[in-house]
Amino acid sequence: MTTTLEHATTMAQPKGGGLARHQNFATAIVAGVVLAWVGWFLGRHLFWNGSDNWSDQVTILTLLGWMLGFWIGIGAFNAPFQWLLGRDNTRADNLYYAGDKQGRMRYWKFTTDHKVVGVQYIIVTMGLLAVGGILAMAIRTELITPGTHFVNQQVYNSFIAIHGMVMILALIVAVAGPWGNFVMPIMIGARDMAFPRLNALSLWTLVSAATVLVGTLAVGGLPVGWVVLGTIANQAGPGMDFFAVAIVIFTVSTTVASVNLITTVITMRTRGMTLDRLPIFVWGTIITAALALYAFPFFFVAEANQIFDRTASTSFYVAAGGGTSWLQANLFWLMGHPEVYVILIPAVAALFEISSTMARKPVFSYRTAVGAMVVLAGLSAVVWAHHMFTAGWAPSLSGPFMVTTELISIPTGIFFLVLVGTLWRGNVWMKLPTVWMFGFIFNFIVGGVTGIYLSDVPLDEQLHGTMFVTAHFHYIFVGSVLFGAIAALAYWFPKVSGRYLNEFLGRLSFWLVFSGVQLTFGAMFLSGLKGMPRRDASYSFAFEHTNFISTIGAYMIMSGMLVLLGAVITSWRSGEPSGPNPWRANTLEWQVPTPPPLENFDVLPVITEDPYHFDETTVNA
Amino acid sequence: MSIDSPSRDQTHSPGDGPHDSPEKVDGRERLGVWLFIGADVVTVGALLFTYLYLRAVDTAGHWMNMWGYQGSLHTYQYWANAAANGTLKNPTLIHVGTVSAGLQWLVAAITVLSALLLWVGEKGLRANKNAKSFSATAVVAALLPVVGIIFTAVLLKDLPQIFVSINDSNTMSYTTYDSAMMALLSSTIFHLVILTFLGLGLSIRAARGVVSGDRWYQVRLVRMFWVWVALSSVVATLITTTITSTH
Repeated sequence: MTTTLEHATTMAQPKGGGLARHQNFATAIVAGVVLAWVGWFLGRHLFWNGSDNWSDQVTILTLLGWMLGFWIGIGAFNAPFQWLLGRDNTRADNLYYAGDKQGRMRYWKFTTDHKVVGVQYIIVTMGLLAVGGILAMAIRTELITPGTHFVNQQVYNSFIAIHGMVMILALIVAVAGPWGNFVMPIMIGARDMAFPRLNALSLWTLVSAATVLVGTLAVGGLPVGWVVLGTIANQAGPGMDFFAVAIVIFTVSTTVASVNLITTVITMRTRGMTLDRLPIFVWGTIITAALALYAFPFFFVAEANQIFDRTASTSFYVAAGGGTSWLQANLFWLMGHPEVYVILIPAVAALFEISSTMARKPVFSYRTAVGAMVVLAGLSAVVWAHHMFTAGWAPSLSGPFMVTTELISIPTGIFFLVLVGTLWRGNVWMKLPTVWMFGFIFNFIVGGVTGIYLSDVPLDEQLHGTMFVTAHFHYIFVGSVLFGAIAALAYWFPKVSGRYLNEFLGRLSFWLVFSGVQLTFGAMFLSGLKGMPRRDASYSFAFEHTNFISTIGAYMIMSGMLVLLGAVITSWRSGEPSGPNPWRANTLEWQVPTPPPLENFDVLPVITEDPYHFDETTVNA
Repeated sequence: MSIDSPSRDQTHSPGDGPHDSPEKVDGRERLGVWLFIGADVVTVGALLFTYLYLRAVDTAGHWMNMWGYQGSLHTYQYWANAAANGTLKNPTLIHVGTVSAGLQWLVAAITVLSALLLWVGEKGLRANKNAKSFSATAVVAALLPVVGIIFTAVLLKDLPQIFVSINDSNTMSYTTYDSAMMALLSSTIFHLVILTFLGLGLSIRAARGVVSGDRWYQVRLVRMFWVWVALSSVVATLITTTITSTH
């Protein structure tokens, strides 16, 4: 039988070359800069006010020029315009765009192969975590003792805002990006994603958005907090324009990615891969994608309104013109709370997968677990107003929103039961992914229980705006999601690289990060309970000791993350070879060679049972 | 996971053709379009929520009224100079009124008409396999949104700006009604530009024989989106022409 790769090697390569075949990240940067300059030039001439070279209109046009140029330079518009002209790609073209025989260069191009996109997502996620982490260290260093040290309040606020949004972006893609792309299509027995070009588009659009977001630092920052409340955002400098454009671009990326993920799972499962045989990570991915598809358009509109206010004299959020920041707050939180579960669910679903493999047992109560994810996604759409309990929006709705928020504890409680039930009396294999999973379980209990406190209106009245809230959501985002993401990295790393992630360095990293999380955010709970407000560069001596401990803990987290980075780099280059199925797992990604070939399967498999049946040989492995 | 032997249709077929049958690709792309429409429903819904929310709260009675001086960008310098010279009289309460309902309905009608035209063209293509005829229909369907864009631009241009001078800060401003309308009209232009692109693409592809009586599934995909845009245009126009005043 002829195999896919044999086709690739015997097939004639596309003739000619042309500009399209030379497009890559470098040409994207060049085209982006050129069109950004064109945008600036046009803006300055159209909206010249006699003094300001960087008015909001000019800034927005410059950034739109950057985005457009980046898309053109990377090759995102090639296919739509070929379609317009009635020239569809041949199979040879498609193989070229999939990165066939292009070596490492394919990682710098608009490559459509889902595995390349998955690796690109890993790199982008690590880059975003690095930027957000550096800002976190700057924040904690500033807070090590009372008084202001090396940044003033304005700069501190900018650091908070950009740290917050960069980390949110990083965590949104941390699991669903790399693994939803690299392993998910193989898990369902597909040769690629449903829309490979949209897959590449989502990745490079994210890169374009991330560049703009980080660029905020170069134009005076964003001293208005990460929720960019409408009234004060109107008074912010050009950094606010950067932020708004970054979010608008990012929304395009998530929408495209979500459509692609859902369509792939619904329409490209191999024969026999019924819905109740789907690996549970796949369920987590599509539930997340559906939630993102619902939530992020609100963010798009929230920031588009902001752009109108700043460039076209509208009054959406301008009180003097009849606007109201409640509108911005509602639109933001209509996205903001579902976004928490867009971040959380893929990490939890990956841990379900890991727990089953490492305990050599089926996922405990598989259908309940899927149901809990669906219910959580649904509930997340009706809890947004709890972020405005103390602000005073619709006090009569506080009761209903308190109830819906507290209901969230039911599906999240089920997550614990499923994880613990899967591990219960299993022959648990204590490898690196398992270690990080146990870290998740502990931290998620702390983050989850403190979340129940905050859902309670009377208690929220006391704790809102204090470091208690900051500690709570960092236990969720860092202590839980990041731990889940690292567990997923350790689990699927052998499939990407053919090598184990270094066990010693990985465990050293775990203990540093785990201990650091307890110190940093545990002490932060105490600061909050004593009444320390958020978003202040300086604080009373009453909070001195707990802040010192928090900063020491933060340095431990940073050390642990650097050790992990070292582990990834050294393991990728010279780690212990793992073979195609090091965990003896049953899901399809482990049944193909490592690294998986282009188009994954010579012959599409036919599935006859779910992936969680472990026989005696694998149980005792 | 137990894996059985593959059946013949799941082996990799040799040659340059796609792996999946056109029917499978069609089904996949249809779902993709439905999902994009779903995201667009939320986006348009958020814009209408914005419109209705601002109308409902009517902060300081500014939904359609604003204290200031009737003007436009062209007269900004006139008012700014007056403010600087201290000759500015007391601001008056300006009532902006609604934008032309007739023109809004005309744009909606044009969008609906273009959708119907594409639908008829699709039926003709599938029935009599005449790609040339479809190409002509598609180009007309694509040009109708251009007319819609022009009328929408006129609506945008006619949104009245008001000169406001608050605490020595001079600016032109829109009422919240005009603000919400600006966002909705901009969304309309964005959608109509996409329709023009898609319609022209179908027309060119039909002329080149890529779209034909036997290969029409992309026409259906475009028509699905087109119908949604027409529907959203009607719904938005219905809301913005009937739910206007705050009383």
